[in-house]
Amino acid sequence: MSDNMVYLEEVSKKFGENYAVHKINLDIKEGEFLTLLGPSGCGKTTTLRMIAGFEKPDEGNIWIDGKQVEKIEPYNREVNTVFQSYSLFPHMTVAENVAFGLKMKKIPKSEIDEQVHRALDLVQLRAFSDRKPKKLSGGQQQRVAIARAIVNNPRVLLLDEPLGALDLKLRKQMQLELKQLQQELGMTFIYVTHDQEEALTMSDRIVVMNQGQIEQMGLPDEIYERPKTKFVADFIGETNFFEGTVKGGEGSNLYMSIGEQKVSIHNHSNIESGEDIYLSIRPERIHITQEPGNKSQDYLKVKIQDKIYIGSVTKIVASFSDGQKITAHSPYDKTLHLQEGDNLYIYWNPENAVIFPVHEKEKIEA
Amino acid sequence: MRPRTRKILLIYSVLVFMFFYIPLVVLMAFSFNDSKLGTVWTGFTFEWYVKLFNNSQIIEATVNSLIVAVITTIISTVLGVLGALVLHRYIFPGRKAISFIFYIPVVIPEIVLAVALLSLYGAMNIQLGLLTIVPGHVVFATSFVILVLLARLAGMDNALEEAAKDLGANEWHTFWKVTFPLLFPGILAGALMAFTISLDEFVVAFFTTGPGSNTLPVLVYSMVRRGVSPEINALSTILILLIIFFVSIVGWRMMRADRKGGEV
Repeated sequence: MSDNMVYLEEVSKKFGENYAVHKINLDIKEGEFLTLLGPSGCGKTTTLRMIAGFEKPDEGNIWIDGKQVEKIEPYNREVNTVFQSYSLFPHMTVAENVAFGLKMKKIPKSEIDEQVHRALDLVQLRAFSDRKPKKLSGGQQQRVAIARAIVNNPRVLLLDEPLGALDLKLRKQMQLELKQLQQELGMTFIYVTHDQEEALTMSDRIVVMNQGQIEQMGLPDEIYERPKTKFVADFIGETNFFEGTVKGGEGSNLYMSIGEQKVSIHNHSNIESGEDIYLSIRPERIHITQEPGNKSQDYLKVKIQDKIYIGSVTKIVASFSDGQKITAHSPYDKTLHLQEGDNLYIYWNPENAVIFPVHEKEKIEA
Repeated sequence: MRPRTRKILLIYSVLVFMFFYIPLVVLMAFSFNDSKLGTVWTGFTFEWYVKLFNNSQIIEATVNSLIVAVITTIISTVLGVLGALVLHRYIFPGRKAISFIFYIPVVIPEIVLAVALLSLYGAMNIQLGLLTIVPGHVVFATSFVILVLLARLAGMDNALEEAAKDLGANEWHTFWKVTFPLLFPGILAGALMAFTISLDEFVVAFFTTGPGSNTLPVLVYSMVRRGVSPEINALSTILILLIIFFVSIVGWRMMRADRKGGEV
């Protein structure tokens, strides 16, 4: 037990022989915006559906607001869901859809009308009360789905990839609206998505899942800047990986080799000389220059292979003498004079690189 | 499309429609023909309609057919809805096999079922009467209802029922407030099919009815053996017009619902 709004203890769910979710522990605080992030099939939706009550866990316990709920049917849980496909009732008007939950609770008619109006005002759809859902655009349907859920004032709102079907611009707008709504209501949100940018934008806390297990739980900047596993570093944002053996140590600084060049390794990690590691460095953390300064041992010499203008930055793809490639993001004006085939010197602060032992991931079986 | 292709297609469509509907039009026309032989047009009359409504045999058979059809419709619709829901919703061992079994009555020759039922009734010493027709019709009609509803269920978003439960509706309310209204067009279509299948079914009715309780098809068959009477033409005309009327109502309702953006 704990005083969290939602608490999962050693929860597992099997489909056939395979674990969709394997022994996960999760606590979600009241008023928190928590995102379950991961690729499809990672168990994030199954986790959400267990909290909603659509799936029963095979092992473990779930508490919602202090009540143990594994045996409680969805209709008796104080949570509501915003479904991926909206799942609005096509035979009811917008207002009837939103009123559905309140009617089930046998709330007096006058009160229902008032609350429905307020919920539709909140999502700016009051004018559409009498329309059928199919007459609304995707974004409007999504808003109705949100109004239909929050009108019940649930302890927890569960959102299953609710913006997945919207186009990019609308999605960005809805992300901000949802976040604002959550703060206004002070409601606990559990949000499922495979879109890492969406997760970073909206969440108070992110839970990265992979193969039914939690890879890492933390603040958005922790997840991005200090990924704990190679999977997390790879899944969230773009990064460069280099595999190598740690050398040096005992008084001298640790380093590894990329091609025939040495790269310093920051000493914060529990890395010892002789260990096989992955080094991960984000493209935007790499500095580029054509003239190495006096600290030349820290610069790596590469050859430009490709220069790609992607709007906000320019992407430089370069190769080491052994053929390994590296991608760097640089401001447009710094890359104007660069050309394919040019030599380039790159540099990064060793503190910005993240190190993972090579063999850490094999312990998790599918 | 090229103009020539258009023209050929138009002619082709007209020919197909003529093939379908000319016999009906001829039949309807001859129901107003003032001639007993019914092959030569001699003048316009309502005589056959008057005779039809004074023919107690035909009226009785019509009532019999309606009784059988209504009972068949009710039983097979309820069974079909329940069956389709079970087959759609639950995964259980032998589900595929059971689904397949429901297809068999659709393809099995009616004569086989008719003879089988007759020998069953004989073995069980059941007196044949009007109601002994019903089980045979229910077998056919239920299969059709299940097929129609399974198609409807396949097109329905399963998450809708989850959404209802999520919003606090128990199983009972979920069914009546969400599942049933969404299935209703399918249920209506299935029920209409069951009704028409039963109404014009001949073979099973012929074999399993008791003496003196003819259904309309059985009676018409016995009348036609003495030549097509213009009364039969009149009866057929009425049936055709009734069917056109009901189909139009359903079609009109569906179109209106489409325009309103909702379901029927």
